[in-house]
Amino acid sequence: MRVFRFLRRPSVAADADTSLPGRRGRAVAIKQHTYLLMLVPGLAMYLAFIIWPFANTIRVSFYNWSGLGPLDDFVGLGNYTNLFNRAPINRQFSNALSNTAQVFFLSTVLSTFVGLGFALILSRKIPGSRFYQALYFMPNTLSVVVVGFLWNLLLNPQFGAVNAVLRSIGLDSLARPWLGDPDFALPSIVAVSAWANMGFPVLIFLAAILGIPSDLLEAARLDGASELRVVATIVIPLLWPTLITLIVLNFIASVNTFELVFAMEGSEGGPFFATDVLGTLFYRMAFGGVGGVYAGTGLGGAAALATLMLVIVLPVSVFVIIYQRKVSHEY
Amino acid sequence: MSTRSERDGGAPRHRSPGRFVGSALVQLVLVAYGIIVVYPLLIMLASSLKTTGEIFANPLSLIPETVRLVNYVDAWNQANFGTYFRNSIFVCAVSVALILFFGSMAAYVLARFSFPGNRAIYLLFLAGFMIPIRLAIVPLFIMMRDLRLLDTLWSLILVYVAGGMPFTIFLMVNFFRHIPRDLEDAAVLDGAGPFQVYYQIMLPLVRPALATVGLFHFLSVWNDFFFPLIFIRSENLRTVPLGVSTFFGEYTNDWALMFAALSISIMPVIAVYLLASKQFIAGLTSGAIK
Repeated sequence: MRVFRFLRRPSVAADADTSLPGRRGRAVAIKQHTYLLMLVPGLAMYLAFIIWPFANTIRVSFYNWSGLGPLDDFVGLGNYTNLFNRAPINRQFSNALSNTAQVFFLSTVLSTFVGLGFALILSRKIPGSRFYQALYFMPNTLSVVVVGFLWNLLLNPQFGAVNAVLRSIGLDSLARPWLGDPDFALPSIVAVSAWANMGFPVLIFLAAILGIPSDLLEAARLDGASELRVVATIVIPLLWPTLITLIVLNFIASVNTFELVFAMEGSEGGPFFATDVLGTLFYRMAFGGVGGVYAGTGLGGAAALATLMLVIVLPVSVFVIIYQRKVSHEY
Repeated sequence: MSTRSERDGGAPRHRSPGRFVGSALVQLVLVAYGIIVVYPLLIMLASSLKTTGEIFANPLSLIPETVRLVNYVDAWNQANFGTYFRNSIFVCAVSVALILFFGSMAAYVLARFSFPGNRAIYLLFLAGFMIPIRLAIVPLFIMMRDLRLLDTLWSLILVYVAGGMPFTIFLMVNFFRHIPRDLEDAAVLDGAGPFQVYYQIMLPLVRPALATVGLFHFLSVWNDFFFPLIFIRSENLRTVPLGVSTFFGEYTNDWALMFAALSISIMPVIAVYLLASKQFIAGLTSGAIK
């Protein structure tokens, strides 16, 4: 879900601080509470199709359950300990966990930090700055799975455009089966993901940089500070909250990685599970394991993995909200 | 260390050769990445008009030897894109309309009326922002099965509408709060009910926010692959991304058709973006940096 990628510092702060309409003015003093009816459709749908299933995920994770019949075989933490102890699922779990962590670190560098670099460049009234911003953002609008299939073709060892480009500029030695080589498959996927997402960090960093009061920067420049110094001592420190937020959002997105791997390497995260991430493992446990290596874990096992992923993501999310709130008070 | 000389880009203060070299370097970097963004898409378009043989022989050329529009006809017919587009359009239209209607209505209540639980409900909605909805897929799947909604487009619509609430409410509450109260007060004195006030007075005032939210959800619903993958079985109920995915499974060797299929699926989104990129970026930025 891309939705939470749009949570950003200043807006959260605005919410936290704006007091609710406490003044019961004449206008609001409507005797009946009919207005509450207007809240019902949205809230009911949200409770029924988001909150309730989430609560149920946690509940199911404590049961051995095939998906049919009553939920009555309580196994406590059994589904969780399976993930750590029971072969072969434990190996796949730790492998997927470590791959997911790699996705996070690589993509933080490739998209968040590179995006910061582009934003710093674009913030300096470069001719065509808006054009570049819009251009870089374009792949963000594409379906991730379609992007995955496109790059699947482009990275093809024999006929793909990437190797063709490398050969045409004499770098034959670099041409390789990108997606078939266990050492390069995951970095390739992260690179594609950076290609697809670059516009987002650029957009957010750029907005944050342009929001820095210009007299602050001018003053430093008049004092003779070099541009590099201005960036290092004024711009970067002021971008810190934005940077943290984007890193955390990238963390959440990384834990959610699924479509790209699915489209480029299949649901088993090939080659030899080199690109298997928590998302693909979860998919197999929940929907792809009929009679396979996952026989026995059932939907309870999948729910346990989902709950664990939630446990990984939630504290980080809560941290961002609290952190942003704290930062916003400093302004 | 070109940084110093590049400062302010075009603003001429001290024109020095170093500055010129610096800004040329910057332009070079920007153009280079621009090419990285666009070239793959152009290759896709060009390849979609070639024969598979020509793609293999000459993958990088951007001008096909003969323009084979027939690839599009073949891909369209063989993959049933007509059906996929109809499904995607239906799901998108209904989902976005309901998201905007339910979301803005709830946001109006949360922004303007004080009642016990207001804050808690608002925070509950915001919590949805931070949790990946797909992690709840197991109970959702069971629920849809028990509701007999599995393998229907309505299963998608219900999840999209529910999942669209957090972002919509978050953004719209902000917008509603920034609207002065005088207008509403006057309307209430004239005897308008809360729904009338919302619908006739408030809604027209938040049109820009509605556009942002609508555009954003249009893209995320149109592009979603995960929920159709789980909920949809029937071939005639596939949405565009799911259709592309199954098409790829079946035509792995016919590259011309695959590129045509990719182009067909990407074009509407690119078209929407080219038409509305300014509003889109401005909307997202203003929503973010208020």
